[in-house]
Amino acid sequence: MSGHEENEGAPPHVAGEFFLWLWYQSETGQGRVDFGEEGGTVEYWVDDRISFRAVGEDKVSAIMTGDNPSLTPEAHAALAGGKVIRDVRLALRREDREYTVTLKAPRIEIAAAKLPALVKSGDEGEVLYERMFLYEELHFILGGLFRAFAAARCSEEWRERTLPDLRRWVAAGPGAAGALDAEAEAS
Amino acid sequence: MGVLKGGLSVRRYRASEPPEGFRDLYTAALEDNAFRDALTEVNKEQRVGWVQVHNLLDNSFLDTNRWLYNQYAVFGMRIDKKVLPGKLFGAHLEKRCQAWAKENNRERVPSKVKAELKDALEMEMLLKTLPSVAVHEVAWNLNEGWVIFHNQSEVPNDTFRKLFHRTFGMALIPHDPLDFVASEPELANALVSSGASDLRMESR
Repeated sequence: MSGHEENEGAPPHVAGEFFLWLWYQSETGQGRVDFGEEGGTVEYWVDDRISFRAVGEDKVSAIMTGDNPSLTPEAHAALAGGKVIRDVRLALRREDREYTVTLKAPRIEIAAAKLPALVKSGDEGEVLYERMFLYEELHFILGGLFRAFAAARCSEEWRERTLPDLRRWVAAGPGAAGALDAEAEAS
Repeated sequence: MGVLKGGLSVRRYRASEPPEGFRDLYTAALEDNAFRDALTEVNKEQRVGWVQVHNLLDNSFLDTNRWLYNQYAVFGMRIDKKVLPGKLFGAHLEKRCQAWAKENNRERVPSKVKAELKDALEMEMLLKTLPSVAVHEVAWNLNEGWVIFHNQSEVPNDTFRKLFHRTFGMALIPHDPLDFVASEPELANALVSSGASDLRMESR
C-alpha cells in the first residue's frame, strides 16, 4: 500500500482552493493542461453549477446554476464575502472525449459524472471495461490537474503573484479577466 | 445509475493486494456474506449483504463470470429495512388506545398497557409492510488496488466498509486529495502545512 494513511488527510481548504484555481484558470483563458507526450492535453471549464459554503461549515450557503454560473456577479460576490467553494461542475475534454463531472469537497469526490459513451452496444463485459477505462481516465485527469494546482499553490509565485491576481479578479467581478490581463501586461 | 450505465457518483477507496488463490477465497467470502434473509416477518433490523449487479435478487457468486471481469470484481451491497409509516402508526395506536379505554371503562390508558398495544400493532403492521430496498454498486480493480462505491453518504459508506472488512478481511482507506501527490511527499507536506488563502482585498 502506498500513499497517506487515513488520518493524514488534506486540510479542508485544499479542495475549495483547487476548485477556485480551476475556475480562475479557465476564466482567464488558461484552462488547459499539458500532461506530456503520453497524457496529451486536457481542456477544462466550469460547466453549470458552483456552490459555496461558509468557512467552518459544511452546508451549502449559495448555489449558482444555469449557463456560465462562474460569470455571475453573485459567484464573485460569494468569494469576495469570504465564502469558499463546496462543489463545482466541470467539463473536461481530452482528445475527442468530453466529460462533465461535479467535484465535491473536501475529498474531491466524483459525482454525477457523465462519461462519453464509446461503445453503443455490446455485451456486459465490454460496457464494463469501457466505463472503467473512462472512469480511470477521469480520475487520471483530475490527478494531473490537482498536481498542477499543488505545484502552483506551494510555489513562491502563489504569494507573490497568483494570490494578488486572484484577489483582484475576485474584487473586479465577472468578465474582468481580460482587463486584468491587460493591466498586468502594462505593469 | 452505476457501474454499467448512467452517471457515476462514487467514493473511492484504496484496498490491499488480494491473496494467492483469491478467486476461490473471494467466491466463498461473497457467498458467506451474500444477502440471504428477506424481511418476511416482524423484523425492523436492517439486513445487509452482497448481490449481483445484474439483479438484486441474484445472490449467488458461485459463477465467477457473473461478478469477476478480468481485473474487476463487480457486485452490489443490498440493504433492506422495514420502516413503518409514522403518522399512520400513530393514528392506529390512538384508535386502539381509545377502544381499550372504552372497553375497560377507563379515562386513560396505563403506560404498560399502551406499550403492549404498541408492540402488538407494530408486529401486525410489520407483517404487512414491504421493506425499503437499496442497492449500491461496487467495482474493485484487483490489480491496481482501488475500489469505488456508488454512494457518497456517510452511513451507507460506513456499512459498506464494515461489510467489506468482514467479507474480505481488509480495511478500506478512503481516497484523499493527497493521494494525487503521493509520489511527491514534499509537495504533499507543503500542502498540509499551507494555510487557507484569504481572497478579500482588505486583508492584504
